[in-house]
Amino acid sequence: MIEIINSRPWIEWLITIAKFAFCFVPVLYILLLIPMERRGAGFMQDRQGPNRSYIKIPFFGKIRLLGYVQNMCDGAKLFFKEQFTPSGVNKFLYNLAPAIPFAIVFLSPCVIPWFGPMVFEWGGSVVRVSGSILDSEIGVLLLFGFSSLSAYGAVLAGWASKSKYSFLGALRTSATTISYEVCLGLSLMGVLLLVGSFNLTDIVSWQEHHVWGIVAQPIAFVCFLIASIAETGRAPFDVAEGEPELVAGYHTEYGAMQFGLFYMGEYSHICINSFLISTLFLGGYAVPFVTTETIQAHMGGSLSILCGVLAFLVLAFLHLLYRYSRKLKKTNLTHKNVVLREYLLYKICGWVAVLVLIAGGLCAWFLFNPSVSFIGGETVYGIGTALGTALIHLLVLVVKSVAFCWVWIWVRWTLPRFRYDHIMHLGWKIILNIALVNLVVTAIVAKLVGGN
Amino acid sequence: MARVVRHKDMNWLERLYIFEACRGLWTTLKHAARGLFRYEQLPTISYPEGQPEIWNSYRAKHRLMLRPDGTPRCVACGMCAAACPAKCIFIEATQSDDPRIEKRVMRFDIDHLTCVFCGLCAEACPVDALRMDTKVVSFEHRTREEFVASLYDLTSWDPKDYPDDALSQEAPGGTRNAEARKIWGMEVK
Amino acid sequence: MSNYYNMPKLPTENSPKVEIFVDDRPVMVPGDTNLLEALKAVGIETPHICYHPYLPVSGNCRQCLVEQEGPRGRMLVISCYTPVVPGMKIYTPASSERVKNARKATQEFMLVNHPLDCPICDKAGECTLQENFMEAGQNESRLRPEVGKNYHGNPDHQFVDSKGQVRGGKHVDIGPRILLDEERCVQCDRCVRFMRSVAGDEQLQLAGRADHTYISTFPGEKLDHEYDLCVTDICPTGAMTAKYFRFQKRVWLLSHTPTVSMDDSLGANIWLDHADGKIWRMMPRCNPQVNRSWLSNTSRMAFQTFSENRLPAIDASAIKIGEGKVAIVLGGTCTIEDLAAARMLKDSLGGRAELFGGTFRAVGKADGIAKSGDPMANRKGFKVMGVGDNNLQDLVKRVSEFETLITVNADLFGEDAAAASPLEKIKNRIALSAFDDATAKKATVAFGIRHWSEVQGTMVNSLGILQKLNAAPTAPEAELRPAYEVLSQLSGTAITCASKAFKKAGEYASVLAEYSYDNIKSTGALLNGVEV
Repeated sequence: MIEIINSRPWIEWLITIAKFAFCFVPVLYILLLIPMERRGAGFMQDRQGPNRSYIKIPFFGKIRLLGYVQNMCDGAKLFFKEQFTPSGVNKFLYNLAPAIPFAIVFLSPCVIPWFGPMVFEWGGSVVRVSGSILDSEIGVLLLFGFSSLSAYGAVLAGWASKSKYSFLGALRTSATTISYEVCLGLSLMGVLLLVGSFNLTDIVSWQEHHVWGIVAQPIAFVCFLIASIAETGRAPFDVAEGEPELVAGYHTEYGAMQFGLFYMGEYSHICINSFLISTLFLGGYAVPFVTTETIQAHMGGSLSILCGVLAFLVLAFLHLLYRYSRKLKKTNLTHKNVVLREYLLYKICGWVAVLVLIAGGLCAWFLFNPSVSFIGGETVYGIGTALGTALIHLLVLVVKSVAFCWVWIWVRWTLPRFRYDHIMHLGWKIILNIALVNLVVTAIVAKLVGGN
Repeated sequence: MARVVRHKDMNWLERLYIFEACRGLWTTLKHAARGLFRYEQLPTISYPEGQPEIWNSYRAKHRLMLRPDGTPRCVACGMCAAACPAKCIFIEATQSDDPRIEKRVMRFDIDHLTCVFCGLCAEACPVDALRMDTKVVSFEHRTREEFVASLYDLTSWDPKDYPDDALSQEAPGGTRNAEARKIWGMEVK
Repeated sequence: MSNYYNMPKLPTENSPKVEIFVDDRPVMVPGDTNLLEALKAVGIETPHICYHPYLPVSGNCRQCLVEQEGPRGRMLVISCYTPVVPGMKIYTPASSERVKNARKATQEFMLVNHPLDCPICDKAGECTLQENFMEAGQNESRLRPEVGKNYHGNPDHQFVDSKGQVRGGKHVDIGPRILLDEERCVQCDRCVRFMRSVAGDEQLQLAGRADHTYISTFPGEKLDHEYDLCVTDICPTGAMTAKYFRFQKRVWLLSHTPTVSMDDSLGANIWLDHADGKIWRMMPRCNPQVNRSWLSNTSRMAFQTFSENRLPAIDASAIKIGEGKVAIVLGGTCTIEDLAAARMLKDSLGGRAELFGGTFRAVGKADGIAKSGDPMANRKGFKVMGVGDNNLQDLVKRVSEFETLITVNADLFGEDAAAASPLEKIKNRIALSAFDDATAKKATVAFGIRHWSEVQGTMVNSLGILQKLNAAPTAPEAELRPAYEVLSQLSGTAITCASKAFKKAGEYASVLAEYSYDNIKSTGALLNGVEV
């Protein structure tokens, strides 16, 4: 035991254990996705979305956090609601069912590479830490396996609820999930063929050094996107909970936090799938047009550019805030002074953030002095550079995945729901065939061009 | 007679759905971007704080016009009740004390829970006594009985709210009331 | 007494048919009447204001103009005063522009000084002038607005209104029951003719001349007559209004139930005008054989008490008929159906029941207009049904024999408390009555039933005409039932429908057997073999 612990430097153990925090990323994404969906849907429909709940704090008055407080209220409400169980159900399965999709939330992030492999010099030797919690050779397959498990939650919920609506919803959900997982896997095969590995870190580094998957396999990308939307059971493929027909699908009979678990499971499923897409097709953590080596060589500059970009975003937000405050002053809304006082807080926070970011950028530019050492003919940077790289990689991955989460929301609030047979038709007769043809063509081209 | 609307057949590009779906996505994206970057241009109103702009011709809560001496101009003819498609106006008449005026209204109730705000009552009124220009559009009460506007409710309006309306200004409390009282041969208080 | 000079001759079923040419088309019309009635008989309505079928023709309104082909060409004549002549050629507005224009001009002239009072006028909605105007009127005024209306009538009643116009004669109090609005009067003199020819008491006169004419009573006198409210019915405008109905209800809100007044034995035909479950007024219904268009004030104002002092409905099981002899006393407002049910009850009780009928009130004399003076409304019906109609004294004499007294619509104690006092010896007194009257108060069991205005039924009036009552939906309680329902239930065979009860009456009285309830016309049916 002690030998195993002593075989690695303590910093490697620290980072490896710290990486388990990434299991909570999908749960944190829920906090982001729900307001994004609500207000995004509102904006698409030319309304404001929920923005009325507030927290009252001294001096600044009613703080609404741009409508974010509403989600806190909803969460609190769901958490404290009475949990009821319909009579005559299998209590064990009924209570087990919501836990399954939520448990998967913590399993799936294990195989996703959050940043490139950390290689740094520590105590005279080279330390290597992989970017994912579990750097498995069959990472993609594991991920698919995990996400397929969520169908169990739906099926159990539908069966245990003892309701026809739930049962039909569960049937539809499982059928859709199973059908589209075939498409999902097959459309992915093109990329895997090019990369030659199931390891997600390999896939990302191949894309980093060659070309992004979306460029190499555009058809596969489209098929994968559609199939993964269908697999998450979101509009326009949400026949399982088509409210005109099935009330709410398999979670009709669930309330309070049990419903909340299904709800969170659905959103984290979106989150995982968007991570997967950005990893497989958008180069994962790779910064566009820049290799990891370049970033590491110019760490100070990279960090200050990052700070500059962030400062620009905060300034843009401040600009919107100032412009809206100016317009608000001219209106005759009775609560405009309250809102302006609230905005004052955001402005202060924004300006502080801008100053901190600029200062940080300047510090990084002038003061960051990476330590470089050559060990075994290899250029190895210090831990500071490695952590900075990991930060940049992580942020890039987050930006890409959030963009894809937006696609989910965007599609949901644009397209009308398909009919059930249309979904099956689309899955089995169109996407599957396109994916197959794409696979064959990719294989032939890859052989002719002469890959591996 | 049912009317059959024939739509143009979709061409093959439209039937592919994916391009039409992308067009739809583009539309919603434009709207979402407007909401995000031009928040103040959203057509919605932050309701209780921001009130919708209501113009004079909007059919809002009723009011009864007054003669300069303060009595309702209504002669209780019942034309509004006859015209009302919702049957929400209840009128009782009685003999007027003023010898020059024959009939006066004793009870004038409008049930705003039943009212459909069609404006036919104001149209039907032969003496321009009933108007719907109060701009009161929201009714909040605790009991059903409070939704029934009585003669008192309908006649207690403030001439200051109708600065452009000369007839309202002649009503008691209006700026022109003293003059009107003189015309009517009443003493000016 | 009465001045029947110029009385219009009305067509009857026996009128000879003659051929005349209306708009160049031959039509067969009654030959012994005036042109207006003849045209009406073939379905051509002629607007008229001063003409009334039961009043002498005066022909002053000139509204009923038609064209007649004469020796000097086509002339305008008033159809109300032109007798029908076989072969005459008549032109109505349908073919003649001249008639149309003439009528329009007449009407416009009539309306020159008629005030625009329709919103506050009680006649609005049933006003002849309004109807004619809506039908054929000139919808735009040709008067200059600065001239306005100008009243020229009684100078004593003139005043200047709030708009500075000369007005006059509003709500003039000409009698205890009538208000006169001189402005609205179109001087048709119907009311004058009514008071002179029908009421026989010439209390009204037209005073002044030309457009200064106005209706007036003699100086210092008031319009006060038993039939004076009829002038409000016949007034074609809102000039004569009844004080009791003034501003009470707009007439278009009233529903009308045709029925028969059970106030006296003539059985005047009436309309019950009701709204919101309440009777607002009672109007005469034209029946040429019975009351023509007239109704006495007593009968007319009776409705005001119909909804007052009513007995509540109680469970019929509360009525316990004892073992001894039973006297069933039927009041004058019992319908034929009630009598039939009472006879059913008598039959079911066997020999120990006896039927009595009658009233303690005095029987007056007929006034020849719309009252027979007999307060026992269905007296002929009692005779037809074989129920004693005047044997109350007999009951009073033999009062000790009876153990149970059932009074149906008979307020014996209210009519004559002294004469009825021996009846108190009967220990079991059951009163079936609409009102909580003296008899009901003295009764051991008081059972609320429907009033005659709320029941279906039939009655035979003093002229031997079988007339039909209809139910106005004004019963204060839905549980109240007609007397025949209660009586038939007591007899053991419940009848809940007037037509079945009438059929039952046919079993007791053969003269009724040839009729069925649904076939009786609204003007009634003259019974064969009933002495008048």
